[in-house]
Amino acid sequence: MNDWASVLGVPLWGWLFILPTIFAILCYFFQAPSKRLLTPIWRFLDRVYLASGALAAVFMVIILIIIILQMIARWSSISFQGSTEFAGYAMAATSFFAFAYALNRGAHIRVSIVLNINNFTRKWVDAYAMLIAAVTATYFARYAVKTNFMSEMLNDRTQGQDQVPEWLLAFVSMFGTWPTGWGKLWANVGSDWVYTPVWLPQIPMSIGATLLAIALWDNLFRLLINGQSNIKGEAVE
Amino acid sequence: MTELYATAIFLFVLFALLGSSVWIGLALMGVAWVGMELFTSRPAGDAMITTIWTGASSWTLTALPLFIWMGEILFRTRLSQDLFRGLAPWMRMLPGGLLHTNIAGCTLFAAVSGSSAATLTTVGKMSIPELRKRGYPEYMIIGTLAGAATLGLMIPPSLTLIVYGVTINESITKLFMAGILPGLVLSSLFMAYIIGWHYLRKDERPEPEPSMTFSVMFKESRFLIPVMLLVFTVIGSMYFGWATATEAAAVGVLGSLALAIMQRSLTWETFSASLMGATRTSAMIALILMGAAFLSLAMGFTGLPRALASWIDTMNLSPILLIAVLTVFYLVLGMFMDGLSSVVLTMAIVEPMIRQAGIDVIWFGIFLVVVIETAQVTPPVGFNLFVLQGMTRHEISYIAKTAIPMVGLMLLMVVILVVWPELATWLPDNIRGQS
Repeated sequence: MNDWASVLGVPLWGWLFILPTIFAILCYFFQAPSKRLLTPIWRFLDRVYLASGALAAVFMVIILIIIILQMIARWSSISFQGSTEFAGYAMAATSFFAFAYALNRGAHIRVSIVLNINNFTRKWVDAYAMLIAAVTATYFARYAVKTNFMSEMLNDRTQGQDQVPEWLLAFVSMFGTWPTGWGKLWANVGSDWVYTPVWLPQIPMSIGATLLAIALWDNLFRLLINGQSNIKGEAVE
Repeated sequence: MTELYATAIFLFVLFALLGSSVWIGLALMGVAWVGMELFTSRPAGDAMITTIWTGASSWTLTALPLFIWMGEILFRTRLSQDLFRGLAPWMRMLPGGLLHTNIAGCTLFAAVSGSSAATLTTVGKMSIPELRKRGYPEYMIIGTLAGAATLGLMIPPSLTLIVYGVTINESITKLFMAGILPGLVLSSLFMAYIIGWHYLRKDERPEPEPSMTFSVMFKESRFLIPVMLLVFTVIGSMYFGWATATEAAAVGVLGSLALAIMQRSLTWETFSASLMGATRTSAMIALILMGAAFLSLAMGFTGLPRALASWIDTMNLSPILLIAVLTVFYLVLGMFMDGLSSVVLTMAIVEPMIRQAGIDVIWFGIFLVVVIETAQVTPPVGFNLFVLQGMTRHEISYIAKTAIPMVGLMLLMVVILVVWPELATWLPDNIRGQS
């Protein structure tokens, strides 16, 4: 079980699952202080969710642009290598970035028969569902991040014909390196195009899945403190 | 015996998670994880991400957000007024009068939108007040609208068919083509129902419409031209093999943006609202698909699909009996779940079964859509009912009651599909530009 190696003496699952659960219980019993503690964080998180949703929308437009370019390229017999892969990456990005935003806007659907029985179930079944969902999403996020790192370590490349410029990889890598390493990073960068390493398009997956997990825990805390979550208007779709 | 226990636990967790209102995508992931832990020693987490990543970044899926976006744009234009104004002059001549605008409007809008809720809102926004004003009986207005709006799921583009196609790896273009004829037949059934009402309930007929000259009629129907053009570009380009489903969707988005600009209803607000709305809906479906992808991987390890398929084989069940059983099954499931979720949830098990029984998967997709449409208008969970409740402030039970004849017609449609399967299979077999 090295997937859950201990961090600072506590196994990783303790940090990821047990700690937030304990915090949720504390939130319920000490509502006023936890509200004071969390209010600035909420203000920040709400912006993050919205920004992530906007980013997802940008990727939706990118899908459209890629597909239109692909059609134009085909009609004028210019080759647009790897267009389908790029559209696929944009698809993954638009889905993952939008998860948390969609959750808060009540777009994700669920079977709400038990939920709607009475006010008691509306609160406590909701809290229970959020706990389960948060644990699942955290598990999802944990492995998304792990896979992302593994792809980088194994230098996994795309199976398609899509290529990206080296400078883009170096630029994105800057966010994952200490500033002291930046010189070394850029020293090896040429002007070549290389087959897309899988870690690059997987970054939205890691970020989006993590944000979804955070959003679910966040909603659970808000539900226990304020008596209502941050989810506005459940979906009717 | 342990196998049996494990299966029982697996199914119990499935229903427990879904029933306790965990979001469907995440519930499916949770169940799949339990399945992986019970039935295989493969590391669940890594297998999960590999499956999900492959599915989430696939090219076929890109048709989904674009078709959703197209519908969202059109929803925010003046299309609902245009549909009513353009259709009304022609429909008034039919027995049953303007009630037919409900059916024809839904059929037309369904050809540019993939969701039945969007179809319902767009058409109903205009037709409900107009028909009420003219004195048509309330139960006919609501009932026909509730039924006809489900055509949004069947007539291409259809989100349900995209999801079905992605889940079982079948051509989305073929599925779209398969939906056209059955969709038109179903809409004629609805129209026949209105005509029947016209002759059987003479006392409920409203005042006949004032007469209108042909030149005025043609002038009014110019409002239909843009949407007709859009329908023919999107469906035509797929039929003639000029574009894949995704490309047709991209053309559809551009076309609907153009339509919105022509109507001067495209502002920055409507544009960003349509984009954000599409982003949300597409993320919602993507999460369910991810959960379903992981679940079907786990299902494979449980051996449940194989066992059921071979059980069907030993039972020597005739395909017709199998279809009858599945109809009942999906109707029951549809009472508690929306259509998309019931498709993704069951396909891992049902697909080997129908392949074993020798049922055409394209045909089965259309069959599934009809049954799911029925579920959209049956309580306690029927999304069209909820939408109509929001629009008309009637009780769910009242709306459901008005839709009962439509449910009957949709079940008749299932029978028609079984008797004449060519209805669904002929068009996809004859798409141009494909070998």
